[in-house]
Amino acid sequence: MSWTEMFFETQAHTGSPPEGGSPAGRWIFNPYLLLAFRLVLAAIFIYAAVQKIGRPLAFADEIRMYRILDIGPTLYISAIALPWIELLCGISLVTGFFLRGSAFILLVLNAVFLVAVSFRTAGMMREEGIPFMQVFFDCGCGFGETFAWKKLLEDSLFFLLSLALILAPAYRFVFSSARR
Amino acid sequence: MMRLNGAILQALAVVVIGAVVAFAHNAVNVNGINPFRKINDVPVVEDSVPEEETNKTEGIRFVTLDGFRELLDAGRTVIDARTAVEYEEGHVPGAVLLDYYEMGSYLQAVLPDLSMDEEILFYCGGPECEDSELLARELYMMGFTKLLVFRGGWEEWEAAGLAVESGLM
Repeated sequence: MSWTEMFFETQAHTGSPPEGGSPAGRWIFNPYLLLAFRLVLAAIFIYAAVQKIGRPLAFADEIRMYRILDIGPTLYISAIALPWIELLCGISLVTGFFLRGSAFILLVLNAVFLVAVSFRTAGMMREEGIPFMQVFFDCGCGFGETFAWKKLLEDSLFFLLSLALILAPAYRFVFSSARR
Repeated sequence: MMRLNGAILQALAVVVIGAVVAFAHNAVNVNGINPFRKINDVPVVEDSVPEEETNKTEGIRFVTLDGFRELLDAGRTVIDARTAVEYEEGHVPGAVLLDYYEMGSYLQAVLPDLSMDEEILFYCGGPECEDSELLARELYMMGFTKLLVFRGGWEEWEAAGLAVESGLM
């Protein structure tokens, strides 16, 4: 496969998982299930992005709570760019343009969220002396305050859905010619 | 492997397109910010340093409730950095609303009334809230240099049973 083909995923495809795959693989990569994965992730990330777009100072403040980035260019650049990247990923999952790449971004983002939420949860448990199940905060994800355990479960699920989309041998129900 | 390479290439393209759109939108958004402004370089005199021991006459300083009231009585401008909803429910009499997170929407109306030569007072929700200090930093970047932050904020003001004004101005 050439670099251009890799980038645009232009090779024709039947749209079905390869014959002879494992039963689990055939089930996970079922075209309808993959479509459901795409729509769920797209809805979540488009909604989250819309809540944050145009309010860089508010989003920067939420990111700062994780103590990963202090006030400065990196924090503000992230606060400006991240919501738009999330929005593009969501649109991409719906339309099929750059689908695998967007799934890759969501995989990385969810991995980062998982680590960040874990550290913040551990920090709150240590500083406030509260048990894991009672850690409650605004995760800065656009959905308001939530329990940490719930957020960790959600992010793990989104991570797995993104991984399934990256590993999928083919996609159907896409507007582009990209099916691989 | 080839599939992963393709995914990484596509991801880079999405990140680049997303960043370009984001910065273009930020440039025209009323609440857009300059991410490269040197907000960390604003001189801040920490509480632990007595006022007479500092040579800094410019920058951000912190005031107690008594100091805040003294300057308020002397007619200094007070800025409420909380949201419009919180401000409407109750604020320090005469305070001007300038929601830190929606700064761009308020600046045009507030800036003409601020003096570069006089102290400007800031407060937000309470000791845990940093919005008043962050807002003071933003104003310092705009050229205002006599900035005083009342860390006790609305929480301490209300607890002291002092006069309260409500509604939007």
